[in-house]
Amino acid sequence: MATATYPPPPPYYRLYKDYLENPKSAPEPPPPVEGAYVCYGANYTTDDVLPSLEEQGVRQLYPKGPNVDFKKELRSLNRELQLHILELADVLVERPSQYARRVEDISLIFKNLHHLLNSLRPHQARATLIHILELQIQRRKQAVEDIKRRREEAQKLLKESLGTLDGH
Amino acid sequence: MDIISQLQEQVNTIATVAFNTFGTLQRDAPPVRLSPNYPEPPPPPIPTDDSSNFSDLPKLLSVDLVKAAKKFDALVAALPLSEGGEEAQLKKIAELQTENDAVGQELQRQLEAAEKELKLVQELFNEAADNCFNLKKPD
Repeated sequence: MATATYPPPPPYYRLYKDYLENPKSAPEPPPPVEGAYVCYGANYTTDDVLPSLEEQGVRQLYPKGPNVDFKKELRSLNRELQLHILELADVLVERPSQYARRVEDISLIFKNLHHLLNSLRPHQARATLIHILELQIQRRKQAVEDIKRRREEAQKLLKESLGTLDGH
Repeated sequence: MDIISQLQEQVNTIATVAFNTFGTLQRDAPPVRLSPNYPEPPPPPIPTDDSSNFSDLPKLLSVDLVKAAKKFDALVAALPLSEGGEEAQLKKIAELQTENDAVGQELQRQLEAAEKELKLVQELFNEAADNCFNLKKPD
């Protein structure tokens, strides 16, 4: 049983023969990829944005709009979830063969819940940024105060020492 | 863990508890009498009795489910969601950036002035030390 050896490395190393003398004689590194690209047969995108529920083929249960009241929607989705679980329990007792529709509804609610939580992440990122900026401003102000105080102390010491030397 | 991750974990917990409820109840349920014509089903052979009776199970499991749902509600109430939406946040970020730049420039100015004074003091100190050294009478 013959096993193949490893393939040889790509022959591009010859292009970099004179790199030490003249760094510009070798090809530039490739520019960063933009937009969508294919990697091992799967499609990826460089634009990281949360795909909306319709793009994933999932019905959106909470109202669309520019500003969604997250807390209210999360609470009402939670209540709907509980109701659906109760409904599933009832259906299993009375008409067990009709469970599939109920299970689908429950998973739809879960998908909506997770999508809502994921869309909270950009808000969280901006809030973190605001917090970091405020901390930094506070630290810088503190540093300015410290430096001012030390300078004044040094000036005072110098004046004192001048006074002592003159009086000497 | 930050609150959004906690919320996500809690959603998954609710799902786990719900499906475990149905699965456990279905798996451990005693056989049901189909019709009065058939005799009572024989009691299943129980080598070791379950530590809790089956009749307690629905209550316990539903208590877990409701507890998980209440915890989710509590977490939602604890969300620090500031009103105003995206534009207000972006505006705040721009304001903070300008303030940060201004304070940074002030800090830079103070730093440069302090370094200048430090160099001056060091030079004076060196001069004074040299003079002191030169004034010492050689033995």
